[in-house]
Amino acid sequence: MSRERAPSSGAPGLAPRAWFIWSVAAVTVALSTDNPIYRGLVALAALNVLLTWLPPGRRVRPLGLVLLFAAGIAALINLLAGHTGADVIARLPGDWPLVGGALTLESLVFGGVLGLGLAAALLAVAPLSLVLEPHDVVDAMPGPLERTGIAVATSLNLVSGFGRTFTEVGDAQRMRGWKPRGLRSWNEVLVPVVLTAIEDSVMLAESMEARGFGAGRRTSYARATLRRRDVAVAASAAGAAVLFVGLRLAGVAVDWYPYPTLYLPPINPVLVAGCLALALPSLARPAAPVPARRGP
Amino acid sequence: MSESLARFDGITYRYPGAASPSLAGLDLEIEPGLTLVVGGSGGGKSTLLRLLNGLVPQFHGGRISGSARVDGLDPMRTPIRRLALSIGLVFQDVETQSVYGTVEREVAFGLENAAVPRAQMHDRVDEVLAGLSIGHLRGRRLTTLSGGERQRVQLAAVLALRPRIVALDEPTSQLDPEGAEAVLAACRGLARDGRAVVVAEHRLETLLPAADRVLLVEGGRVSPTTREALRGSATTRPRRSAVTAEIAWEMRDLAAGPAGPRAPAVLQGVSLAGVAGEVVALTGPNGSGKTTLLRTLAGLLPPTAGTVRRPDGRTAYLPQNPGALLHLPTVRAEVELTLRRTGARGSADAMLAAFGLAGLHDRYPRNLSSGERQRAALAATLAGSPSLVLLDEPTRGMDAAARRSLVAAVRSLTEGGSAVVLATHDTELATELADRTISLGDGRAVEVATAATPAVTPAATSAATAPDAPR
Repeated sequence: MSRERAPSSGAPGLAPRAWFIWSVAAVTVALSTDNPIYRGLVALAALNVLLTWLPPGRRVRPLGLVLLFAAGIAALINLLAGHTGADVIARLPGDWPLVGGALTLESLVFGGVLGLGLAAALLAVAPLSLVLEPHDVVDAMPGPLERTGIAVATSLNLVSGFGRTFTEVGDAQRMRGWKPRGLRSWNEVLVPVVLTAIEDSVMLAESMEARGFGAGRRTSYARATLRRRDVAVAASAAGAAVLFVGLRLAGVAVDWYPYPTLYLPPINPVLVAGCLALALPSLARPAAPVPARRGP
Repeated sequence: MSESLARFDGITYRYPGAASPSLAGLDLEIEPGLTLVVGGSGGGKSTLLRLLNGLVPQFHGGRISGSARVDGLDPMRTPIRRLALSIGLVFQDVETQSVYGTVEREVAFGLENAAVPRAQMHDRVDEVLAGLSIGHLRGRRLTTLSGGERQRVQLAAVLALRPRIVALDEPTSQLDPEGAEAVLAACRGLARDGRAVVVAEHRLETLLPAADRVLLVEGGRVSPTTREALRGSATTRPRRSAVTAEIAWEMRDLAAGPAGPRAPAVLQGVSLAGVAGEVVALTGPNGSGKTTLLRTLAGLLPPTAGTVRRPDGRTAYLPQNPGALLHLPTVRAEVELTLRRTGARGSADAMLAAFGLAGLHDRYPRNLSSGERQRAALAATLAGSPSLVLLDEPTRGMDAAARRSLVAAVRSLTEGGSAVVLATHDTELATELADRTISLGDGRAVEVATAATPAVTPAATSAATAPDAPR
């Protein structure tokens, strides 16, 4: 007799499809407004969700460093290239290409807000790699995007190998007399690491082909079932996204533009509620570990 | 006569841009049973396996002539997706062929691609896991498995598609003896069930007696050979190293973990020492701490507790995936870099010759076969008379010729006074080279007795194993 058993999941308690909808909605909200209040709320909600669901043994610090770096770069680029705004904080020689001219407080702040949006978006998709298993990512995708999900899943699998190769190559080169001296010296570690990553990717592609991956109809091992908790998370997140996009289309101000002079961003209680709705997965976390999802 | 499951007539294949063919004039029939494919690195074994399931030429490109039928299909024109139902191929490196993160889903990946109905998929996964005696691993994450378990999971992943032909490319090259035996037992079982099982392998001791036929692949030419002919190349008796009384390296009450002090220690209270001119082999199952011990001894990993002492002079360290460190345009440049960097006196030509690389000195290392690349990495690592040599699984993927080069190089180093510590699953290598064998397990180190190397201390000795003098 045929039996169907639900596969084990790294994130018991919330269906992969619900995670996918939540992530897409949170990214939509973060990128549909320039208002730093809303962006900050989305980032906080996403961070809270991530920390609530983070499985033991997975670290969030590397992501934090990436976020800080990305946000810092965004602020710096806008500061150096913006040259707009009333409050000048410094001037670079005018004959310097691109960066020459006035550096303004408004450009710096707006760059920071751009970085905040980027950070919020990255935090919104972080659960797909840090909370879900690779197969959950595939299960989360709608049918037409399933192959995209597999590409994402396999990329995530290669990340751990990348780190291991970096350690191995660094060790081996150090023992051959290599010492880190400036950026160029890192070529001796980074070049072989990148080459190895490419070789590993080709190897993985071969393995996937050899097991029939490619064009044609696929079936899925796991049954996609949404329970009430999943529906609540997906619906609230989708509602928030629809709210932001709808109000923008209706001409209601959801943005903030700090030029020519800074001013406090407006706050709309309905939009704040929409942002807070994105924190719902934090409340959906079971108090104790629950068994893996089971099929009929 | 048995039914032929695959037939090749006059196949000649050349990779894109290659000067010479990787397979030349291949005439071959593959029948049910166990076919063992042997031969030197770069000879064409992997290409032959890839030809079976269409990866050659469909994935790799290149030029091919001749005709072929595999399970009634033309592997040059039938989509690989369709061929996957007839021929399953398990690759050498278990870590780079996983798509999903858990056993159950990894095994089901091919079934999803073949659009097998969900209910049948679950049955097939059950069946194949039980058949390979790994049903207990079903819910486990792949990263928590040993090498042998992972290799069997990959075998299960191709068997789930119920292919009539199963090909495995050096399936035991990264496995401890127990893992290797489990995989090879599975191969023998598949052959008994009437499948054609084609195994390319350098470690012949277990498979050779069970093989129904043996193919020798050299220089792109495939020819049948006999078990007797291969047994003629058995390893020679061990020759003892030039051991001296001088303690070269030492660790006392060592505790260490693979991620340094932040993670749990896999070695606890380990005390070991080695003398100049001595070869110490570290054995033990995957995850027992062999690599951690080597990295700690190299000074790459700070110990959680205890002390480590190394000799003056250079320490050479060969990691598990040595091909990864190669990045220069030629093999010679790799060796010269080490000599220049370490300020060592020595000849690049001598190192290249010692590892049989004289004819490959101007080749790009990354274009070499896995065995040749391994030798290039060894030459680049060992150049310049290091006083302490640490080798992590040095024979992984090596053919017999490369092994002989390694053995000769290690002996040359020990005769020059180098102390050598090697971690290996290769019991033949340990027997041939080691003056002492240390077994790691459960965080402890125990000296073991072998036929060639009787234990200095009783086999049941505690964690502390430190010879005061050579034997």
